Amino acid sequence: MTSKIPIILDGDPGHDDAIAWMLAKASDKLEILACTSVSGNQSIEKTSFNARRVMTLLGIKAPFAMGREEPLHGEPIHAGNIHGETGLDGPALPEPALEAEPVSAVELMAKTIAASIEPVTIVATGPLTNVGALLILHPELKPKIAHISIMGGGLAHGNWTPAAEFNILVDPEAADVVFKSGLPLTMAGLDVTLKALVFPEDFERIRALGNPVALVVAEWLDFFYTFHREIGYAGAPVHDAVAVAALIKPEILTARDYYVQIETSGDFCRGATVADHYGFSHQPPNTHALVDIDREAFIDLLAEAAAWYGKESE
Amino acid sequence: MSPIPVILDCDPGVDDAIAFLLAKQLPQLNVLAITSVAGNVGLEYTTYNALGLLEFLDWDIPVYRGATGPIFRKRVEAAEVHGSNGMAGFDLPHTRREVEGIKAWDAIHKYAVEQQGALEIIAVGPLTNLAMAFFKYPDLPHLIKRIVIMGGSAEEGNATPAAEFNIYADPEAADIVFCAGVPMHMCGLDMTMKALMTPAELDQVAALGNKQAIFFRDVVQDIVEFMDRLGIIGINMHDPAAVLYAADDSIFKAYPAGIRVETKGSITQGKTVTDLFSDAKWPRNGFVVMDIDREAFVKQVLELMSKY
Repeated sequence: MTSKIPIILDGDPGHDDAIAWMLAKASDKLEILACTSVSGNQSIEKTSFNARRVMTLLGIKAPFAMGREEPLHGEPIHAGNIHGETGLDGPALPEPALEAEPVSAVELMAKTIAASIEPVTIVATGPLTNVGALLILHPELKPKIAHISIMGGGLAHGNWTPAAEFNILVDPEAADVVFKSGLPLTMAGLDVTLKALVFPEDFERIRALGNPVALVVAEWLDFFYTFHREIGYAGAPVHDAVAVAALIKPEILTARDYYVQIETSGDFCRGATVADHYGFSHQPPNTHALVDIDREAFIDLLAEAAAWYGKESE
Repeated sequence: MSPIPVILDCDPGVDDAIAFLLAKQLPQLNVLAITSVAGNVGLEYTTYNALGLLEFLDWDIPVYRGATGPIFRKRVEAAEVHGSNGMAGFDLPHTRREVEGIKAWDAIHKYAVEQQGALEIIAVGPLTNLAMAFFKYPDLPHLIKRIVIMGGSAEEGNATPAAEFNIYADPEAADIVFCAGVPMHMCGLDMTMKALMTPAELDQVAALGNKQAIFFRDVVQDIVEFMDRLGIIGINMHDPAAVLYAADDSIFKAYPAGIRVETKGSITQGKTVTDLFSDAKWPRNGFVVMDIDREAFVKQVLELMSKY
């Protein structure tokens, strides 16, 4: 039997972060060493509170630490219009049964990576503030980082602005550090995540599983879809879960390798992920960019994960 | 229906030359004038080539000289694609034709006034001349019906990873034109990279036997070799596709969009940013042409070239 992949979950829950974490916890291929919060979908206070509530709901027994409110450079941006006032509006959630560690997210990451025998994979589903800071403050740990699987960017376009995807736009400088790090990088960008749509009939399939986690996931999907339905989506784009699916079931994803750079300036393009399709920059690829997904298989993966929580409690 | 009065603003340029060949034969277009601009190569060559092409085609329309370079920045060239004279070393016939006495932007305004709002512009080079015209003539936006450009890309670039050559060559001019208030039709790389003609199809054109058809095949040979080194078999008919779009858009797919040009980014200068796929939307200022029926395109080219 192969050993589990040790991971750190770094995110800004967030409905799709929460569903990504649900997927990660249920997988027998992943071992969650730590969770960290980042400012993004909502303020750091809110995403941290949500992270602790989600960990409690899912039964994630790992240390947790809070990130910071500000990006590495620039002002925070939040997405309350999508995730609601709390950053995770919708179903009632348990009160957190765990406290934040008395260290920063970056220091918990560093400590966790230093203590791990196996190199650690970071699953970053929010802005890359913590990961960028980790690489700046602890370059000596780079050899112990196996892989960074991010939800962020888009090879050709954005969502929050026409050119930039939200997570990269919030902290382009941090993203720049991560993309220049030379570490193996998987990018679940809009190219793939807009194909990872969960349709209303899929919500019902998950709801019908009946266990407490599945019921909450279905309600998260209900809420998350509200905003997206209004702007014409056929389903809820559960962006962040794709970054986890890439670790659990890479065979359902199609990828292309590119040299990707981050635009940090510009009138319209700040936060754009620019892929070098024709090799102008004469650089080897730094990014394993996901571009397509077997949607049905992805839904099966989510439903199987949600079902796992029912079996676990028996 | 009477043909559309158009000005062809261009930087010949190999694919511009092909655009001339088609434009002359398109019954939907009445090409009133050519305006030259620096782009693929310098203005002295693009103007000379425009005159030479008209001579070669025995086509009697005026040529107006335009801008020698971008408005706010230094000039970039594409001589590695088009050869040092812009015609891949191909010798156009000598001509006694001369350029007209007024500048391109003055000519654009003059024709726009004369056509009373019916004039359309097909711009297949950097957009410097049009930006100059909008600078100089505040009434111009109301006098031009639409602008069809070859330039930009909703996705990847060809001059840099982010930017297409014509827009990259003068990003400020391009943004001025996109914001001028005239409906813009962007025939960018999204579509033109699909407007491919294979070497076999080029041979089919040449087999028509007229001198223009043989020129068609021969003038693109250097580019065919250049593309081959990039792993692309054949040649992208960037400028000709824009001309065909201007004449008849029925074999194309275009989508309304908000489009702006990045002029300041560190790696994205000259990128045409569109809101086509994003949740955030901009005021719509034009259409992004995303697709072409390639087979129908090649058929049209063959039909037009058989008229010579």
